[in-house]
Amino acid sequence: MYFPNRKFTINFFQLAKHPKPFTPEARDKDVSVLIKKRKTLEDDDSNNIKSENDTQLNSQVEKHKRDSKESSPDIPEDKLSFQKYNFFNETFKKSSDLLKVAPDYEGIELGVGETVLMKAIASATGKNLNRVKSESEKLGDLGEVAMAFRLNQKTLFPLPDLTIDKVFDTFHEISATSGSSSQQKKVEKISSLIVSGKNSESKYIVRSLEGKLRIGLAEKTVLSALGRAFVTYKAVGKTPTTEQLTEAIETIKHVYTQLPNYKILITNLIEHGIKNLEDVCKLIPGIPVKPMLAHPTKSVTEVLNRFENMNFTCEYKYDGERIQIHKSKDIGSISFSRNSENTTDKYKDIISKSDQFCASHTESFIIDAEVVAWDVSKKCILPFQVLSTRKRKDVKENEISVQVCLFVFDILFLNGESLLQKPLNARRDLLKEAFILVPGLFQFAISKDLRSVDEIQNFLEESIAVVVGAYTGRGKRTGVYGGFLLACYDPDREEYQSICKIGTGFSEEDLDNFKKILEPLTINQPKSYYSYGDSTKPDVWFEPSQVWEVKAADLSISPVYKAAIGIISEDKGISLRFPRFLRIRDDKSPEECTSSSQIADMFESQNLNTAS
Amino acid sequence: MLEARLSQASILKKIVESVKDLVSQANFDCSESGISFQAMDESNIALSSFLLRSDGFDPYRCDRNLSLGIKFSTLSKILKCAGNDDVVIIKYEDDNDILSLVFKDQKNERISEFSIKLLDIDSEYLSIPEQEFECNVSMSSSEFSRICRDLMTIGSSVVIDATKEGVKFSSTGDEGNGSVLLKQSPSIDDDGRKTVGTTVNMTEPVSLELSLKYLNNFTKASPLSDSVLINMSNGIPVLFQFNVGDIGYIRYFLAPQIKDDE
Repeated sequence: MYFPNRKFTINFFQLAKHPKPFTPEARDKDVSVLIKKRKTLEDDDSNNIKSENDTQLNSQVEKHKRDSKESSPDIPEDKLSFQKYNFFNETFKKSSDLLKVAPDYEGIELGVGETVLMKAIASATGKNLNRVKSESEKLGDLGEVAMAFRLNQKTLFPLPDLTIDKVFDTFHEISATSGSSSQQKKVEKISSLIVSGKNSESKYIVRSLEGKLRIGLAEKTVLSALGRAFVTYKAVGKTPTTEQLTEAIETIKHVYTQLPNYKILITNLIEHGIKNLEDVCKLIPGIPVKPMLAHPTKSVTEVLNRFENMNFTCEYKYDGERIQIHKSKDIGSISFSRNSENTTDKYKDIISKSDQFCASHTESFIIDAEVVAWDVSKKCILPFQVLSTRKRKDVKENEISVQVCLFVFDILFLNGESLLQKPLNARRDLLKEAFILVPGLFQFAISKDLRSVDEIQNFLEESIAVVVGAYTGRGKRTGVYGGFLLACYDPDREEYQSICKIGTGFSEEDLDNFKKILEPLTINQPKSYYSYGDSTKPDVWFEPSQVWEVKAADLSISPVYKAAIGIISEDKGISLRFPRFLRIRDDKSPEECTSSSQIADMFESQNLNTAS
Repeated sequence: MLEARLSQASILKKIVESVKDLVSQANFDCSESGISFQAMDESNIALSSFLLRSDGFDPYRCDRNLSLGIKFSTLSKILKCAGNDDVVIIKYEDDNDILSLVFKDQKNERISEFSIKLLDIDSEYLSIPEQEFECNVSMSSSEFSRICRDLMTIGSSVVIDATKEGVKFSSTGDEGNGSVLLKQSPSIDDDGRKTVGTTVNMTEPVSLELSLKYLNNFTKASPLSDSVLINMSNGIPVLFQFNVGDIGYIRYFLAPQIKDDE
């Protein structure tokens, strides 16, 4: 009764069946250091390339790991031929993040919601929608539901095996579906894939469409695997050396940061080989570079150690949005966000004025900048909240109410030439030659070049504050305090005034420790001499006893916190922004902490041109 | 060209109603021997096919084999415009993308004419081999509808167990279980009138689990026939057949579910 069958090949989810490729590096984002970890000034270390900076530490760790133990039997790279990489790279890029059908900057997304998926599962497996819903509540994963239902129901005819091309093309069709009854069309397309799914294929198809593959695979692993696979493939039967592998992996990671497009990268890799990859795959305006991001670190000491006996630069972190502006004859002027999304439409008001800030000899460039909201009349920066009120799409230039200003800090490409191999100070010089300062439109980020770590102190605000309350911990911090309310002391009014909530800078050990120290200090009612805002009321109150040293990015006027109230403003206090715990100060008594008047002084001396 | 005259519009109406929720479109294959179609639902779980032999029409003329792609929702809407006792004339001129339908009432006083745009449907024709089943059940179609409807309130699938004793339909749900047993019964009731009894002819006992969602779709063909033939063998698709008088049939194939104990 089963009818003749067409036979297809390629085992589809080869990779997904091997759930533990590499150990993902531990991600610690406790303290995000505000000093941008930029290339050192007189840098002759040429592998310290900009875009790679943030991945470098990690890749060293990874290298080490690889040397010491595994020979990676987990990824069956020899079984995957190269044509397939296009697919699994582009589709299975991130396990926890969005699975992509195209490079980020093309802005193509699948746009598949839960309802569409549920309908597709129902129609593909002959169940009612309600059955799908109830099963999904039970199993908590639509992928599992799809697989269970699919395996439970036979089909009349054996269906052709899914091929990678077929799945990838269908994903593309889904992302391109729009207009009337697009939901229905998507349901049909997805359903056809689920129907054809064998074994666990339906599960991974659904998860791919959901954007959660849950196989513990990060993009870096994919890049590593790609390098490894290519070298192994080329070695034909022989085992490549660790050096060869490491080199290939580094090259691929490096090239990918400059040209985040798997299609171009892999095509060139196959055509020109790994040795020539960097020569053929170069930075070009129009394709966003993966931005260099701040490197998370566990403690300030780690940062300080890194910069010891070095020249380095400190920059203000502007309260805006990262922007990468590209310009060339071919593409005109376009901009990208931190996530490589095209934001040209959103910022067309500044992009269109690029002629005003380009020097006459500047024809093509890629610059890295922060775009901030700008108060034209007061000539000062406005908070991020103001910037975020700007429209994202269908912006009409004459309707823009929030003006913006660029604070440019780097140039990656100028007049046909990549500058990534040049040190930062040279890049900065080129930046200043190639562009003209236009106040309120195009400014250079304020920076300071320093020789010693101590000088950073001028950039950070340090203060000593008293712990007066705490918030119950949730999630990872269940059982300990999750955050604390700090206060400064006002000797004139003889009261403790709330200054900030603090939740970062602690190790797990610290938190356990605080629980032990602070619990006995718990009081039922806040002291009458505690001054605080209702919205920051902590879950428990403490006797004023524990004194902490904290560092903050800067100070700002706050309607919520009460520090220095009446000094700078009649009814508003001052708060510490982005406070970080440094250490316990047993040597100081609560009354010896930073006083309200000192806080007020610090606020006034803040040499920022922000609105006041 | 094709010209076929069917004396009762209701037959065509019922056929279309019984498949339109299962499949959205199909190629109607017309040949000297009659009109048929075969269509699989998108999940590949169920297939329906129908045949109306040429002797069911009067007159019937089909010069060469034709494949006419029709969307069921369109056809259904147009057939709603026909009275049950109307005569239907189906016409197709060669090299045209239109099928026309003419409805005439019995007195030949009201004549309506509709046309449908034909679609180009790319579907593979699957040849279904005739085969012997381990078990053939014949039962009342209205009884079958009722059982499927009743069990749907319990669960989402039904297990059909056919033994010498009779045929048992049972369903399990989160909130309870239910089953209906039909024993073999004669086709004549106590008063000697003709009814539709239940007969089971088998070489092997058969037990299969089927999705009720599909069965409740198939039962829409019940108005076409007093009885339904259920042909089953263990582990392979089940055939449900509703005969349209003696001029044709509508068949459904349904792939079974995999039972937990398999």
